[in-house]
Amino acid sequence: MASIYQYSWLILLAPLLSFVVIIFGTRMWDLASRPRAAVANDAGHGHDDAHAADHDHDAHGDDHGDQAHNDDDDPKVPALSMGARVSAYVGIFIMLVSCVFSWYLLLNSVFNPGVLPYAGVDLNLHWSWGSAAFLAPYEVRFHVDHLALTMLVVVTTISLLVQIYSQGYMENSAGYARFFSYLSLFTFSMLMIVFAANFLVIFMGWELVGLSSYLLIGFWINKKAKPDEDRPQPAMAAIQAFIVNRIGDVGFIIGIMILFWKTGTFSFAALSNPGPQSVTQAFAGNSTLLTVAMVLIFCGAIGKSAQIPLQIWLPNAMEGPTPVSALIHAATMVAAGVYMVARTFPLFVASGTTAFEVIAWIGTITAIYAALVALTQTDFKRVLAYSTVSQLGYMFVGLGVAGAYNPTEYGAGPGMYHLFTHAFFKALLFLAAGSVINNLHHATHEEVQDMRKMGGLAKFMPITAITYLIAAITISGIPPFSGFFSKDTIIGLAEQAGKTIPSFYAIYGLTLLTAGLTAFYMFRAYIVAFGGKGGRFGGFWGSADGEPELYRGVGTPHEGPWTVTVPLILLAIAAIVAGYWFGLFSYLSPTAVNVSPADLFSDPLTWLGVGVAVVGIGWAYTLYARIGMERVHKVVEGNALLRGLHRLTLHKFYLDDLYYWLTKYVFLGIAHVAAAFDATVVDGIVNGVGKTVTGLGSGLRHVETGKVQSYMYGFFGGVAALAVVVLVLVLFAQGGVKLW
Amino acid sequence: MDFLHPTLNHFLVLGAVLFCIGLYGALAKRNAIAILMGIEIMLNAVNITLVAFSFYNTVKPFSTYLTGQIFAIFIITVAAAEAAVALAMIISIYRKRSTVDVGEINLMKW
Repeated sequence: MASIYQYSWLILLAPLLSFVVIIFGTRMWDLASRPRAAVANDAGHGHDDAHAADHDHDAHGDDHGDQAHNDDDDPKVPALSMGARVSAYVGIFIMLVSCVFSWYLLLNSVFNPGVLPYAGVDLNLHWSWGSAAFLAPYEVRFHVDHLALTMLVVVTTISLLVQIYSQGYMENSAGYARFFSYLSLFTFSMLMIVFAANFLVIFMGWELVGLSSYLLIGFWINKKAKPDEDRPQPAMAAIQAFIVNRIGDVGFIIGIMILFWKTGTFSFAALSNPGPQSVTQAFAGNSTLLTVAMVLIFCGAIGKSAQIPLQIWLPNAMEGPTPVSALIHAATMVAAGVYMVARTFPLFVASGTTAFEVIAWIGTITAIYAALVALTQTDFKRVLAYSTVSQLGYMFVGLGVAGAYNPTEYGAGPGMYHLFTHAFFKALLFLAAGSVINNLHHATHEEVQDMRKMGGLAKFMPITAITYLIAAITISGIPPFSGFFSKDTIIGLAEQAGKTIPSFYAIYGLTLLTAGLTAFYMFRAYIVAFGGKGGRFGGFWGSADGEPELYRGVGTPHEGPWTVTVPLILLAIAAIVAGYWFGLFSYLSPTAVNVSPADLFSDPLTWLGVGVAVVGIGWAYTLYARIGMERVHKVVEGNALLRGLHRLTLHKFYLDDLYYWLTKYVFLGIAHVAAAFDATVVDGIVNGVGKTVTGLGSGLRHVETGKVQSYMYGFFGGVAALAVVVLVLVLFAQGGVKLW
Repeated sequence: MDFLHPTLNHFLVLGAVLFCIGLYGALAKRNAIAILMGIEIMLNAVNITLVAFSFYNTVKPFSTYLTGQIFAIFIITVAAAEAAVALAMIISIYRKRSTVDVGEINLMKW
């Protein structure tokens, strides 16, 4: 019987269809419907944008009032063409259908257990590279099971909301249609990872999301670096993200090759189910090699999910448009590492606990490191970027601890639970941050991302402020919001695992500390941007009427259009309720035991976790709403120890500088040596051969005298020599030289 | 020596001597006409050898066929044509350069 789940290939190919339609159809329409000059002509700001020659930002604004043209160097369009608008509609409509269908598939399988078996369904959509026997393992095959469906709804939902949101956010950006085609391409690539049935397909999807990420980070390709804000050029950030991901992928592909070498298959099912190709049989008596392979595969996840030591690219990736940060660099792509580990969970289980301990420790170190760095960042989006890195660390802690401690009872549940809730509230945080940036852009005609230029914004954009606040409470782990359930499950699990594996008590302590830091930096960001000392509700809101203005920037910002606010509201609802899916653990794995909210609430350690979060919030409130940002800054600058610590976290513990130094002096040094070797030795051999032949030729050409008689000498001399040779050979063949 | 009853060897020696004379002429002479004459002598030396082999062949099946003789006739034909072409070229070269000294005709060198 063809189950309805067979039709999930429609969801897989739908974004590819919208990509093709937009890039070859509506984008062409958009390009054809306006003259090329319109792209370069900044009619929206009333002056000629072809200012590459006389690049003079400050000169503008004289004739145009306060419309200082300083926002960025990318061309702006005064109005979107019909083709551009239709591009967005195509993407949104197709994604809406996919989203509804994927929610139907998920809910159907949740409420009708058994309609989709735990083993999942292989989709009929598959092909192989050839019919020869040795090509049999190399096939493109897709698979849908409970884990895939969980990830599927996350991807399609966030993608849909981000596309709706982008209509408002990208309104004035040139390349509007191209942007939507990239979003569709990204969604397709991500769904390839989600539906992958073997390592080959997941790796293809892996590289395709890397490409989409590269294209979207560098979307504003002409934008310059801002050294005074420590912000790189988007094009450079895109290259950095791409290269750092490739470093992780080297490990990933080597791990895949080790597995394939031993088992002869890429298929997840064949590798994990009992049989001659399973890792348990193929690696019997060789579990160290399997552990090495699994740790190498985890390297791919380290790169994609920006874990230490490959964490540097994600904060720089914030140079891309904010919807991209929300979709790719917060909710979905960076979670692909977590999804991949969850997908290959049985293989990690087969390899023993070592790989899981590596995962748990990498996750813990990343979580605490990123939380410490996020404490002092002043860029609104960078705080969120480090928060993402930190929360991804939590997910890996969830996977690693569950796997090392009790894989049967937990499975990939804790990690996926946090992935699921985090996707919604982190997308919300980014979209709210994007709303702030967009609204301030309209008010100041500058790209303001520095929190110190904000303040009291809640008065101007209440919807953004409330949704941001909801997300901040959620990420801090305050019940009954979703972040509380997923995060406290992980922290509680680490404590429980500590009873069996004592070193996990350290993980428990560090994750608990991280929870407090998370609450602190999220509320620091909220209060500094939306409230401030002297605001309403004790500083949580903008200034009241008649009070001194808290907003530190110029102009009067306003709330954005409905395309921006509606996704915020929907995501806020999702951020509140996403944690109530307590059946997730047993949905993902038949042997797992579900989260029990009753147990969670009756455990005093849970309240310890909440207490830590409340302390973090209270500390942020005291510092930024009671004492005030300027005074805190003065105190920190006045104390040598505090100043040193501030510098340390502000400069990301100098890890970025270390990598910069390593790249500049070590890797480039090796590269120069290699280049010199290439230029002298390798090229020397090739050129030497060439020169020898040329020299021989120029010497030998003198044989060509042009005199026919000299040729005849050669010819007859040769014949005579040959005759002598033949004579001698014949004589020898007849048995020795016998002259008559 | 019985010159009235020559054997195969007599003819082969005659052919070899003629060939060497012709070769010497072709290699040593400067005059293009003389070189041509040397070549003609070489060709005829080969003809004598072929006819002699044909005549003295004792292997019955082949002796009945006149293979060598026919070869010789072909060579005479081709040599006539070659001589005609070569003489035409020599005349043409002489008209252009007023010489038939092959030492000076070396346009085709490196």
